[in-house]
Amino acid sequence: MRRLLAALLLPSLAAGALTACDDAEEARSAMTVRVLVRDINIRPEGVECAGTGPYTHFHNRSPFQVIDPDGRTLAEGALPSGTSVATFKEDLEVTRVPTYCEFAVPVTVADRSAYRLVVDGHPPIALTPNDSEGPALVAVVPS
Amino acid sequence: MTRGYAARLAAVTLALAVALSTAACSGDEPPARPEPVAGGAAALPGPAPANLALRQPPSGLPGAPAVTGTLTDGSPVAFADLWAERPVVLVFFSSWCTVCAERQNALSELARTHRDKVVFVGVAVEDTTQDLQQYLREHRVEYPVVVDDDGIISQSYAVREPPGVVMIAKGGTLLRGWPGGVDAPALDGKLRELVLAS
Repeated sequence: MRRLLAALLLPSLAAGALTACDDAEEARSAMTVRVLVRDINIRPEGVECAGTGPYTHFHNRSPFQVIDPDGRTLAEGALPSGTSVATFKEDLEVTRVPTYCEFAVPVTVADRSAYRLVVDGHPPIALTPNDSEGPALVAVVPS
Repeated sequence: MTRGYAARLAAVTLALAVALSTAACSGDEPPARPEPVAGGAAALPGPAPANLALRQPPSGLPGAPAVTGTLTDGSPVAFADLWAERPVVLVFFSSWCTVCAERQNALSELARTHRDKVVFVGVAVEDTTQDLQQYLREHRVEYPVVVDDDGIISQSYAVREPPGVVMIAKGGTLLRGWPGGVDAPALDGKLRELVLAS
């Protein structure tokens, strides 16, 4: 009876141990994906925005995936609205100024040598680790 | 009562119940009609009122781009046909645009207030059919809506992202545009100032 129990339980225990090892290898880190869409559109600064011109797929609720160099999905979700940021530091003394549209979305991803961002099925964009304002993966389009 | 008799009685009762329920379900009531597509041709206005009093547009203003488009139900529409009879307000929006959603109920109500005198036309950009229909029902949008999938209409009116509003006089004079949109009270004020004479 003991042999039978051992025969039945050992494979399960071994599988569990292997899974635990996998989990340990796949430690995940919380960070923010930040994308600056340099569309230079005239908007007030600090308002909700979406990408314009060739970047209209960057908008609230756009599906995205963070993928690794092999194309495996590490995180996915939907973009929030962007926020307009002034293109120039000078005070132009008008309410509507040339702006970019910046998106920031929190993700939790496994450690990889490189990351890319896919937005609404468009070609992947390279993400660069940047810790200047907390752990982040950043991209600028066009780069 | 024998077991065979009881079984026959039960079968007859069951058959009678089925027959009655079938008759009740297939009565004279007409089958439910599918809900019309919001923003389609059914939302186009009828003839303009005969006594429609309008202000003359200022001279020297440019003409609005006389583009054509397709409504949510696939019907074609020409903007010039709409402004031939009355002023037009174009409302550029998307279902994912939160500013659009915040202002939409009041804009829908304003369109109802000026129904027949001014035709509001929604221009949906970068949207999906399902999300768009849900948005139109949720915000009681009862005016026609053009689906601008290729962005040509938005480009024609220099609207780079939603929201945006454009006011056009009867005859096609481009009166005013609001990149970034405008709320209903401000739009109503401009309609009364620039378009409606009474």
